[in-house]
Amino acid sequence: MSNASANPEFSPHLQVFEPHKASLPPLIPYIKEFWNRRAFAIELSRFADKAEYLDSKLGKVWLVINPLFLAVIYFLLVTVIRGGAGSNLGLTTLAHILIGLFTFSFAQSCISAGATSITAGGRLILNQAFPRALLPFSSTISAFYQFLPTLPVYIVVVAIGKWIFPETQVPGLTWNYLWIPLIIICVGVTGFGLSLIFATLNVYFRDTNKLLGYFMRIWLYASPVLWLPDMLHGWHRVILFINPLGPVLSSTSNVWIKGISPTPGELIGSIAWALGSILVGGYFFISRERDFAVRI
Amino acid sequence: MPDNLAIRIEDLSIKYKINVDTKRTLKNALMRASKGELVRTRTVEAIKHLTMDLPHGSVLGIVGANGAGKSTLMRSIAGILPPTEGRITVNGKISTLLALGVGFNPALSGRDNIILGGLASGMNRAEIESKTDEIAQFADLPDGFIDMPVRTYSSGMYGRVAFSVAVSMKPDILLLDEALSAGDASFKEKSFNKMRELCAEARTIVIVSHALATINDLCDRAIWMNKGSLVQDGKPAAVVEEYLKFLKVGTLPSNYEDM
Repeated sequence: MSNASANPEFSPHLQVFEPHKASLPPLIPYIKEFWNRRAFAIELSRFADKAEYLDSKLGKVWLVINPLFLAVIYFLLVTVIRGGAGSNLGLTTLAHILIGLFTFSFAQSCISAGATSITAGGRLILNQAFPRALLPFSSTISAFYQFLPTLPVYIVVVAIGKWIFPETQVPGLTWNYLWIPLIIICVGVTGFGLSLIFATLNVYFRDTNKLLGYFMRIWLYASPVLWLPDMLHGWHRVILFINPLGPVLSSTSNVWIKGISPTPGELIGSIAWALGSILVGGYFFISRERDFAVRI
Repeated sequence: MPDNLAIRIEDLSIKYKINVDTKRTLKNALMRASKGELVRTRTVEAIKHLTMDLPHGSVLGIVGANGAGKSTLMRSIAGILPPTEGRITVNGKISTLLALGVGFNPALSGRDNIILGGLASGMNRAEIESKTDEIAQFADLPDGFIDMPVRTYSSGMYGRVAFSVAVSMKPDILLLDEALSAGDASFKEKSFNKMRELCAEARTIVIVSHALATINDLCDRAIWMNKGSLVQDGKPAAVVEEYLKFLKVGTLPSNYEDM
């Protein structure tokens, strides 16, 4: 057998562990290690899905059925409250609720799965040193893969709707759909950033996760999902911008439902919330990461 | 750091806070805050000013009563718990087995768990996959068990797989915390042989164990820790003897104050 130093596969490398300055580990090596081990986060998300849906007969189909049923329920609720579906049996309303809810659910699953990722990953945390942010990151990857198949569902519903009601305002193909990848990235980054905050809180307060359910429900109602962003006027429009998902959901509504590009304000708001969440969440998480091994 | 050293620990101190409230909930914290109280925490001084050098190829045994700081020391060498003061320099690839069966997701198969653990420690997939069969073989897993969920394993199998993973990654430094209690006598013999093999390749092993015979048998050096401080450092037989005296009589050796 070869000597350790003669084996290039496992060549010795020097590691120095020192007290963290300002409670943060050295950030550049941290980010490097995070990136080098991204394969771990991807595999973990795949395995987690595998374990979760192994015993369920419909398996991953639930990932699409769930938000679809929810959307239909909200659609019925909204039309009942409004006292009628409006023109074209409310196709615009249905399309808006569908795409809004799918997008919101993406952020929601990033956050709710990410929130428990540290407490649930305790076994790995106790045994190995690796950038802990990989665990919530893996939840974000899972959430993304759950979100992707909902887009074809939306497209099929709208296609059928347009076939039945050709005069509907819901657009067909437009160049403005090119904004969609940017919107999805903003939702994912915002979701990941916020999940870092809740994952950390959940280590200290184990009921955070329970509270999160109510919080998410209120957040949904405060977001332009069940109502159109245009329904707000004057200073009420502030609600759209103090909500981390407000600008990005308004953009969603503009692009998908009206077929127009997001307003500059919405774009700046979306990017600002994404950057803000990842910076604040990242700082909060990484500065407390040392504690995780002794608090779990 | 000199090339012949695997681990250098310089004036290491580790403190951390733990929440001593029975209910670690937001509700509880808010209730306390409304009464003007803080969440009750306690600072644990797990390691106090420890300095030590460990050359490549040594097998170090760590003994000490519960709460001596042994596991904290292992975690800090592994990089899981950064120092509060001082510095640890580690020269080589580390493999850890810090608590039995830790690192396993019971719903996933043994193979999936091995892959996940390997990826987390920074290996690439091909590297790990080439080793899984070797790991299954070393762990004496019955045919096909490597692809069954870990929850179907007996506790012996669980421990044997965990140990096999740790030693099969060809670590330069192997950290084992109470990991040798797994398996029957024949597996124990096999694991001892594997560790001797690793030492012969100039790899370094650190073992925490309450099985003092194991320490005597395997190690060429032992330290005894008590309440975060080093009490004695020397040949395993001598350290174990003093430690046993302490367990019976409850007093530390007279030279403790000098250390």
